[in-house]
This record gives sequence, C-alpha cells and structure tokens, in this order.
Amino acid sequence: MAFSAEEMLALYRKMLLVRRMEEKHGELLASGDIWMMGHFGTGQEAVAIGITAPLKKEDYLFPTHRGVGEFIGKGMVPKDIWAEYYGRTTGLAKGKGGLHLSDVRVGLMGLVGSLGADFAVAVGTALSSKMRGTGQVTMIYFGDGTSNQADFHPSMNLAALWQLPIVFACANNQYSELAHYRETTSTEHIAPRAAGYGVPWKIVEDGNDIQAVYAATAEAVDRARRGEGPTLVEYKTYRIAAHFTGDPGGYQPKEEIEEWKKKDPIDRFRARIIEQKVATADDLENMNREVIAEVEDAVKYAQESPWPAPEDIYQDLYA
Amino acid sequence: MTRTITYQQAINETLRQEMEKDKMVFILGEDVRVSPFGQTAGLVEQFGKERVRNTCIAESAIVGTAIGAAMTGMRPVAEIMFADFMYLAMDAIASQAASWRYMTGGQVKLPLVIRTVSGAGWAMGYNHSQSTEASFMHPPGLKIAVPSTPHDAAGLLRTAIRDDNPVLFFEHKFLFPTSGEVPDEEYAIPFGQADVKRQGKHVTVVATLLMVHKALAAADELSQEGIEVEVVDPRTLTPLDKETILASVKKTGRLVTVEESRARNGVGAEIAAMVASEGFDFLDAPIQRVGAPDVPIPYSPPLESTFIPNEDRIIEAVRRVLG
Ligand SMILES: Cc1ncc(C[n+]2csc(CCOP(=O)(O)OP(=O)(O)O)c2C)c(N)n1
Repeated sequence: MAFSAEEMLALYRKMLLVRRMEEKHGELLASGDIWMMGHFGTGQEAVAIGITAPLKKEDYLFPTHRGVGEFIGKGMVPKDIWAEYYGRTTGLAKGKGGLHLSDVRVGLMGLVGSLGADFAVAVGTALSSKMRGTGQVTMIYFGDGTSNQADFHPSMNLAALWQLPIVFACANNQYSELAHYRETTSTEHIAPRAAGYGVPWKIVEDGNDIQAVYAATAEAVDRARRGEGPTLVEYKTYRIAAHFTGDPGGYQPKEEIEEWKKKDPIDRFRARIIEQKVATADDLENMNREVIAEVEDAVKYAQESPWPAPEDIYQDLYA
Repeated sequence: MTRTITYQQAINETLRQEMEKDKMVFILGEDVRVSPFGQTAGLVEQFGKERVRNTCIAESAIVGTAIGAAMTGMRPVAEIMFADFMYLAMDAIASQAASWRYMTGGQVKLPLVIRTVSGAGWAMGYNHSQSTEASFMHPPGLKIAVPSTPHDAAGLLRTAIRDDNPVLFFEHKFLFPTSGEVPDEEYAIPFGQADVKRQGKHVTVVATLLMVHKALAAADELSQEGIEVEVVDPRTLTPLDKETILASVKKTGRLVTVEESRARNGVGAEIAAMVASEGFDFLDAPIQRVGAPDVPIPYSPPLESTFIPNEDRIIEAVRRVLG
C-alpha cells in the first residue's frame, strides 16, 4: 500500500517529534531539571508510529514503557506529556501518574508499571466494545520480554474464544532489560505462539520500515473491526537506546548498535521522502526546527505549571 | 412486609434484579453458568451466555477483563470461586483495580464487583478454605463488603453493583443455606454502616461473616450469667464505620474482635489500632483479638477445628477483658 504525500509527511513528523521529545528528556535529566528516568525507544519509532496510525481516536490502546512513541502516535500532545512528567497539576493525571501516562480522550487507557498486567485489561476493553456494539478496536502493545508474562496466555485464549476486536502488537527489539531476549525466551519468534490459540499471526521482518509496519497492522486492525477476531503481529526492530537512562550498559555489542544505527527508521523514511520528491531536505529541516520549537514550548508550559498541593494526595482515589 | 430467604437466594435474586435493571451489568467467572454454589444458577436462562459468561481458569485474567470492561462503560460482576484464589489475581486487584483511577487522575472509573467465597470447616484444606479479606484492607482504592445475613447480603450486593468503584464482596460458604428475613421491597445498604446485631452493655464484640453468628451464640450463653455482650457487625471493612464501633466501646469500655482468619495483621488488628488511638479513654481493659493461629489451614478435622475460632474462645476472650 502507498501513503499519500500528506500522510508520509504527517507520519514522518510524528517520528521526528518522538525522537526530539526523548532527546529532550535525556537533556533535562542530565541537567537535573527532571528526575524521572527515561526508557527511550530510539530506533523503534517506526513501530510505535506505524502501529498507531491505523487506529481511530476512539480505539483503545494499552501502551508500553518504552518512550513516548505510541502516545504521540495515538494523539497525546507534548504539553500533556511534559506536564505529567514534571508532576504538575496540568498533567492529565494531575501529576499522580508520571511515566504511567494516560489520555483517555484519545483512547490511551493508561500505562501499567507491572509488565503484562494490562493483557487481560485489554481483553476487557475489547469485550466491552463488542458487548456495547461500538466497533472500537483495542490494541495491546508489548515487548518481547513481556510476552513471557503469565497473563499473555489466558488473554490470547479469551480473545480468541470470544473473537474479540483486539490486536496484539509485539515489538521485538531483541533486548529485555539488560539481556538479549534469547537468554530468557525459548524461541526466536514470538508471533507463532498465536497458532496455539487459533489466532492468525504475522511477522514484520523489517520493523524499521514504517510502511511495512503500517500495512501489516492495518490488516490486523481491519480484521478486528470487521469482527473477525484477534491477530498477533510481531515487529522485528532494535533498541538503540539503553534500557533506561543510567543503566550499566555494555551488554549490547558496540558493532551491533552501530549496524542498527545505519538502519535508523527516521533516516530511512527521510531518504524515501526526498527520493520520492514528497519534500526536499530543506523542507524537512524546517519541519525539524518546528518540531524542536514545539517540544521547547511544551517543556516550558510544564515547567511553568503549578505543583499539586499536599492535600491533593487524597483526590481521585474513589469515584 | 417481609419474607424469608436464604443467603444464597439473596445473592442470586439481587444479581437477577440488577441485571434486569441495567444492561451493562454482566457476570463473568469460572463456571458461573451452572454455578457450583448456586449464587449465579439459573441466570443464564434469562440473560444468555453473553451476560453470564464462563471464563477459562485464570483468576488474574478474570479480574483484568473486569477492569477493562469497567473502565469502558460496563458494570462487570466477576466471580473468584474461592477467596484463596484471590491471591492469583493479587496484582490485578491490589495494584491495578485499586489504583487505576488514581493513576489517571480520575479519568476513568471502575464500577466492578469481585464476588468470592471464603471460609473453613469443610475439610477442604489450605487452598479452598481461607478468609482473605484482611489482605485487601491494605491497598487503597478498594471497598470490601462482608455480609453475615441474607438481609445484609442482598442490600450490600445491590450497593456494590451500583457503586462506581471496585468492590470486593466476600460470601461465606457456611452462610449459603442460612435464612433470614428481608423486606419485600427493594433496598440497598449503604457502605460504611455497621449493624449492631445484639445490644449489650458489658463488652463490645466486633465480628464479621460467620463469626457474627458465633459471637451471637457466645453472647446468648454469657447472657445467662448476666454478662451482656454487644455484637457489632461492621458489614463493610472499607469503608469502616468507626463511629458505631467507638460508640459501642464508649458504652461498654471493653473490646473483643473476632475473625475467622489469623489475628496477626488481621481485621481485628486494624480495628484494635483504631480504637486504641481514637477511643483509648473509653477502654477499661486491654483489647483482645480472637482469630486463627498463625498456620496454614490444616485438613484433619480435629486440626481444622482447632484453627477456626469458636464460641468457647470468644467466651474466654470476653472473660479476659472483664478481668
Ligand atoms: C512485572 C514486572 N516485572 C519486571 C519489571 C521490570 N522491567 C521493566 S522494563 C523490563 C523489560 C521489558 O522488556 P520488553 O518487554 O522486551 O520491553 P523493552 O523494555 O525491550 O521495550 C523489565 C523486566 C516490570 N516493570 N514489571
């Protein structure tokens, strides 16, 4: 499938925004301006943006801890992200969530800290939209490491049993925390596990190609929306970033990182855009400047936002 | 007008009535269609398999599914077959259901109920006999109902289903066949309202679930000696009706707490701490806690009955606080 010029530029801009957001986060950490550690998704932007692009605003997404990619992809705006990261009252969770971002208005139901705790919750939102007959699709996004969590199994089983409108999207970035995933995962591929549940699956070999990511995901989302049940899609990619800012490092071979930097999804998409004459290098540089300004403005908005008052600690516990 | 129904019927008909009223209410859990204890029996004929939904054996996923459904407009009533199995869903209950609203700054609400069955005495051993309610008093964001009569079961379940927050609803297996009066008309019992099950002036006994009945039996016996025990049933542990408990202790000056599970870190520990800090001046004697010993629940009947608190131990504790 081919994107229109407009779509290409919109997706490119989102990928760029994700990269600049996370770079900024790194700078703010280094300068001591923000204290929340980052789990960046550098090198995985094509997956995060490519999987969210086929979703509608009202679809539900359960995101991962790896950076802001899918949040931006699903429509959360930088100032809402920074306000929450800064722990201010202007954050959508009023500073109570921090990295556990949510924006229910755009179907971002919340990031859980206990990996895998949202597999069944996603089954629940999918069941709910099926029972209410709303046509909404749920996507649960998770890493290769998280695929080994216990709830993966009953969630796949129930999603298949009930033919729920859900997409299981697995970013295989080859690392699970501080070790290569093959140290702790018995098989090379995650997606074929779906066959055990009678669920169709697909592997996107080049998860750094946003068009490939989009095409496979759109097919799965459409299937779900047509009421044909769940799909598991695995995207092969690579985590260029450390697991978290300040991790000990050294466990990813340098040459491996260098190899993957050459396959940077943003560089590749940029080359394609220029080659197809959708935009010039200058246009894209202008876009980059705009994106940087947007990030700076959003950070400033957060920094200038008020802190919660101590008594706010008791708000929002019960409905 | 009133009529007499069993505890099991109270639960069954309240579920039916609430499902008739609100299409968003649905039941999910293991074997809820046929229902081993009968609480959900016969509902599938009226509401169909979509709303009386059998799940696979996966407690964490049952609760997780309920959470997702609740945050998107449904009102799930999940069943965990035995209170022991609540621990398989511990993260889903204690971290996710309890905190999701708070972590999103109030962007979602979670109108869900988790019904479960507790209680020892059926010689079912350590994984089908526990009373686990105390474990859930620690995480914030949950509500906990512990009905001891058909009247309380129906009234509290109605409130639970209509509440916009996660509610844990503990049923006791020995109470299912017990009967009691309920009003003919529909009623709901607000959470956080204890019920004084027996008036007395010498000692306050706070008890829940089956222990309410043991406390009442103990009170009958003590009454023959002129000792008048007041039996207070909190009915919900979160929120806890401190006022009624404190008012009773103010009157009697003496407190005994009774629970079926271990006293250590239990329901009574929290109530005793509350009374010690907010009602110390009312107390004429140290508080006594009656509960199970600090061991898993053993199988052999003489061992199991040593585990479960009985009337004699309640009577002993009452005598101790009377000095
Ligand atoms: C239940 C649970 N166990 C462990 C962790 C700690 N932890 C955070 S991220 C992570 C690695 C996850 O790996 P993967 O799912 O492959 O995602 P990636 O970090 O590679 O994006 C771990 C173990 C956690 N957050 N939750």
